[in-house]
Amino acid sequence: MLEIDDLLFRYPGQAPDTPGWHFNVGIREGECVALTGPSGCGKSTLLNLVAGFLAPAGGDMRWQGQNLGPLPPWQRPVTTVFQEQNLFDHLTVAENVGLGLHPGLRLSKTQWSRIEAALETVNLGGLHNQRAGNLSGGQRQRVAVVRALLRPQPVLLLDEPMTGLDDENRTILQDLLLQARDQGKTLALVSHDIRDRQALADREVSDFFQPW
Amino acid sequence: MTALTRPAPPFSRRRWQLAPGLVFTSLVLVLMGGGLLALILRADSGPSELWQSPYLQGVIRFTAWQASLSVIGSLLIAIPIARALVRQPDLPGRAGLLRLMEMSLVMPTIVAVSGLVAVYGRRGWLAEVTEWAGGSLPWNLYGISGILLAHIFFNAPLAARVMVQTLERVPVSQRRAASQLGLGSWQLWRVLDWPALRPVMPGLAALVFSLCFTSFAIVVTLGGGPGATTIEVAIYQALRFEFDFNRAALLAFVQLLICGGLWWLVFRKNRHQAVLPDQSSSTDTGSLRADSAGWRRTTDRALIGLFALFLALPVLAIALRGVPWLARELTNPRLALWDATFRSLAIALPAGLLAVAITLALLAATSALKPGLPRSLASVSGYLPLIVPPIVLGTGLFLLIQPRLGIQGYGLTVVALINSLMALPFTLQVLRGPFQAMGTPALRVADQLDIRGWYRWRWLQWPRLKRPLALALGYGITLSLGDFGVIALFGSPAQPTLPMLLHQQLGSYQVAAATGTACWLLIFIAALFTLLSRPGRVASRSAMRDTGVTHTGVPHA
Repeated sequence: MLEIDDLLFRYPGQAPDTPGWHFNVGIREGECVALTGPSGCGKSTLLNLVAGFLAPAGGDMRWQGQNLGPLPPWQRPVTTVFQEQNLFDHLTVAENVGLGLHPGLRLSKTQWSRIEAALETVNLGGLHNQRAGNLSGGQRQRVAVVRALLRPQPVLLLDEPMTGLDDENRTILQDLLLQARDQGKTLALVSHDIRDRQALADREVSDFFQPW
Repeated sequence: MTALTRPAPPFSRRRWQLAPGLVFTSLVLVLMGGGLLALILRADSGPSELWQSPYLQGVIRFTAWQASLSVIGSLLIAIPIARALVRQPDLPGRAGLLRLMEMSLVMPTIVAVSGLVAVYGRRGWLAEVTEWAGGSLPWNLYGISGILLAHIFFNAPLAARVMVQTLERVPVSQRRAASQLGLGSWQLWRVLDWPALRPVMPGLAALVFSLCFTSFAIVVTLGGGPGATTIEVAIYQALRFEFDFNRAALLAFVQLLICGGLWWLVFRKNRHQAVLPDQSSSTDTGSLRADSAGWRRTTDRALIGLFALFLALPVLAIALRGVPWLARELTNPRLALWDATFRSLAIALPAGLLAVAITLALLAATSALKPGLPRSLASVSGYLPLIVPPIVLGTGLFLLIQPRLGIQGYGLTVVALINSLMALPFTLQVLRGPFQAMGTPALRVADQLDIRGWYRWRWLQWPRLKRPLALALGYGITLSLGDFGVIALFGSPAQPTLPMLLHQQLGSYQVAAATGTACWLLIFIAALFTLLSRPGRVASRSAMRDTGVTHTGVPHA
């Protein structure tokens, strides 16, 4: 279970009289929860707090009882898929995925062929030696999701992962993410598109925040 | 937790990012402080000489006077040139001219001086033409006019290059709106050009001022006598000929105060953006300016043509006079040129490499530090060599090394070290942007995937820095190859480097040999840059090939 208890946050440099955020939410293992709410309510902020990109002012985050607060981003059990810029443009597709398995690309032959096979499943077979910068937006998002799924981290933080994609790419990604959930990954989804939420989410939560 | 027991990436501890940069920062500061202190301690009389000696006052006044005139002249020429270049984006040879304008960053001052002498000097091209027409040259190149000419030759193109870059950064939408409104030249200046230029002007003026204020090679060759001496030259004379440490310390202080104060003013107002050209190029070709057509087209072209001629003539003179001499003399194995070349390389290669290494260390430390005093020191220390006289650094170094070690070739080691420090402002300018190019999203992905330390360098930084690194290395080596200020202080005349040899030849009126040496140095530098820009070209070619495959080969899935 991913538990967010009274997590407080304020942006550095934020005017002191404007309210910060106060988050409370729980996500069970193997569940896909969509966070909904008006823009500015802190959906992406919460995902960034869980990932460790932002530091909370107070409160707790726990995964399976373990406190995430003191862990740096690289030791947290999460993988984020952003709306864009998930890939390093100067590296090849396979290298971009491989960096998710080992940060220095020290990979065995088996691992490389696993990467190629995974790329096949999202119709990107044969593109593994392409530079990521040469791919279309939809192709890039598919690569990012493939990387997230190949990593051992059990929690996926999806921050508008399908925004701006066409229907074809959207369907491929939805199928992939549903498979991931069925294999036991835990998903937190932020998407302003109701079709994504309907296709993916087991439940929607809109009361996860209040002003602080 | 699951499967997160992998060892941390090599060199991923914060201290690996911090320590080298902080070490170099302290080195620069210690050298500066130690050098100043040493000069003061060696001085036997107080600062009273400063307000008692008319000679010192004359030197300071002349230094400030010629620097101010050079700033005014350079900027007044640069503004119309930059505007003309922006108005005429389709001019044939425009890209080449822009490269030529960047050349002043790498062209050794002493080479430029020999070129200017070959064109405007007593026996130069212009003198030949006027004599043929039955007149004589109305000026004497030696003195303030020659100094100003050389300073403008160096700084007007640099300033114009930065201005072109600034003007091309005006958002396309604004330029298109101005184009639709049909604004004339004066209105465009008020609405578009001046508002864009104003923020860079203080930094640009300060840069040109400090370059001219601390000018050494130009003044020592073209200046004559006590009437045309700058502070740096006076320091040199005080140390080399008069052994007057007091005077040297006083002058170094004055220079630090004036230039430091100027930069402090500029930095305080936060107006220090982009005072050196970067590698960006304009992508906009569309928005026509109402003031770019008709008779202006002709006057713009004439203006640009004159300016190009001004820049190209000295280089041309060196090439035309130097190549025949080289062709005749290069086969002579006992030529002084060979020795000087090897000596220059022995200094310049380590100096360039060290400059790049220090730059990377400083950038790494700056990006790892939170805002505060250490970070300010780390980011400022790389720019200090712009205003600190090399003698101060050299004296500091002398103190650090000399008492303990008897190093062979000590002089050359010191020269290489100081040269690497003097190159820092330029290598920093080349590498800062690319080094900091990873935006927040990329940094977050890298952090999450644990691509840190050595892995981040290997996979994320190095592939993108290869090309700028080669360029920075080129600048570092070239600046050291062309150095005359530091070698004049610490080198021995019997063992000259290329610029020293050139200076000796100019001083003894061996004009043919001098142009030959200058030509050799230019060829050398050109070859160096061609060599160092090759990995970049290969990379971009393969990138193009990749793009070709996506467009032709693989169907869109």
